[in-house]
Amino acid sequence: MNDLLIVKDQVRYEQKAYWRNPMAAVFTLMFPVVFLVVVGTSAGATRVPGTTLKYDQYIVVAMLTFGLIAACYTNLGMAICIRRESGVLKRMRGTPIAISSYVDGIIGSVLINVAVLTVVVVGIGMSFYHLHFPYHPLATVVTLLVAIVTFCALGMAVTIIVPNADAAPAVINGIYFPIVFISGVFYPLSSGSVLSHIAAYFPISHMITALVSGFEQDPGSGLRPRDLMVMLIWAAAALVFTARRFRWEPKHR
Amino acid sequence: MRPVRCPVVAADVDIAITVRGLTKSYGKVEALRGVDFEVRRGQVLALLGPNGAGKTTAVEILEGYRKREGGEVSVFGVDPERRLRSLRARVGIVLQECAVDPYLTVAEAVTQRAGLYPEPRPVDEVIDLVGLEAKARARVKLLSGGQQRRPDLGLALVGNPELIFLDEPTTGFDPSARREAWDVVRGLCAEGRTVVLTTHYMDEAQALADAVTVIANGRVVASGSPDTLGGRDHGMTTVRFVLPAGVSVGELPLPEGVEPQRRGEFVEFRIAEPTEVLHALTGWAVRRGEVLSGLAVVRPSLEDVYLALTGGGQP
Ligand SMILES: Nc1ncnc2c1ncn2[C@@H]1O[C@H](COP(=O)(O)OP(=O)(O)OP(=O)(O)O)[C@@H](O)[C@H]1O
Ligand SMILES: [Mg+2]
Repeated sequence: MNDLLIVKDQVRYEQKAYWRNPMAAVFTLMFPVVFLVVVGTSAGATRVPGTTLKYDQYIVVAMLTFGLIAACYTNLGMAICIRRESGVLKRMRGTPIAISSYVDGIIGSVLINVAVLTVVVVGIGMSFYHLHFPYHPLATVVTLLVAIVTFCALGMAVTIIVPNADAAPAVINGIYFPIVFISGVFYPLSSGSVLSHIAAYFPISHMITALVSGFEQDPGSGLRPRDLMVMLIWAAAALVFTARRFRWEPKHR
Repeated sequence: MRPVRCPVVAADVDIAITVRGLTKSYGKVEALRGVDFEVRRGQVLALLGPNGAGKTTAVEILEGYRKREGGEVSVFGVDPERRLRSLRARVGIVLQECAVDPYLTVAEAVTQRAGLYPEPRPVDEVIDLVGLEAKARARVKLLSGGQQRRPDLGLALVGNPELIFLDEPTTGFDPSARREAWDVVRGLCAEGRTVVLTTHYMDEAQALADAVTVIANGRVVASGSPDTLGGRDHGMTTVRFVLPAGVSVGELPLPEGVEPQRRGEFVEFRIAEPTEVLHALTGWAVRRGEVLSGLAVVRPSLEDVYLALTGGGQP
């Protein structure tokens, strides 16, 4: 069988399994939607300093960020850990497909989840919060692609420091939660604050800035090369770490 | 141009697996210290040995998961360390740990796996084979612990493998499930497939294997057919029966050199070849109108041999 067909097949089974396990879908899709409805409606229409977006519109972009990270980093990281620890990855390595096709299947499914999330979240923003379709669609697409690469790479890299299945949620979320809190996902960062300086070292605040830019009615391309660069540096580091230390099998106990 | 032919050594055609002087250590632990065995095509080989003997290590080297340190290994003439796809397509694997995606149904998991092989077996056939017809539409997650190994076995078989590795395939099974699993293995064998299984159970080796290799502490301590292992066919047979009332041990018609012993109401003795003495004993009893109640003729069990070989399981 052709590898591409195999990946397609894997994506189909991944999607089946994904929608049957409500926990994963809750974080990627439900949480951003609920947060949007609850916070967005009460946020009012004051402008976020330093942008042309209203506060509720900013929350739409922030929730797209949150959902994308949940899908790429959290869900991919968890999926790989659980499968590695239960021996599924090892077992797949014993079949005639290239194991990369299997991982590609998982990532392909993640991409579908991100697409669904983007449509739903941006759809809600456009329908209820007067969010305009991106003025710079190219910038939005490029930012989303860079974000997908970055957070999928980080999702794979984080599995390396997860020692076993029980520790997976604690390690994966334990790294992510503090950073997401200081990165302006739930409220805009005030520029020049200590938090914003710390957040600038991590990719999440840059993703928000770059995404916001695509939705702003500004002359220019809407692209934010500096922000994209920070994300890509993280991506490169994560990929190198993954290439060197990724494990297909549980540690010997 | 003349076609290039791979040279085939005639004697090797029948051999599925060759292992010579295989060594492997993990840090200071020498898991394998020079192991040799051979598996012929269509044969069932049981690797028998106590915990930590090195069975899984040996099997996983043959499966291509682990790298050996020394020695030679070949599976269908190929070094499994090369992890050739063409070889993986011919081999089915059941690992010691169960590994099936819990959120798929049994049928989905088997169908998914079938899609990865060039010549898969029909999915329904495989599901029947592992006794999960009734559970085909159930999610793997909802099967009981013992049942979960069955789709695992199904996944190993759906690729229509010529060679199947089963690492402790029946651990955790109830007795009837074990019998069913044995039937599956016998079926595979009847279809001409080659099977390598590891087990701690003597009866399993006895019931299934054409050849047994006993490993202890990283070394082969014995190998042979289940009947001849460790000189079992030459071992002493024990004869035992209830001493008839009013008879003393001395009156029994036993040949010179046999030393009968009382064990409660029983008397027993050990002898290399029991045919003649049984004839004499039973003839004697019939003439006197007695019965030899509880009469038993016991060969040394594979378990006895195994315990003797592996030093009671102590490494
Ligand atoms: N990945 C590993 N890292 C370190 N040591 C290992 C590893 N795998 C096995 N060992 C050690 O090597 C020895 C042989 O282990 P192995 O798993 O091959 O035994 P086994 O015969 O399969 O045992 P069991 O019957 O318990 O499954 C043991 O001492 C074990 O602790
Ligand atoms: Mg083992």
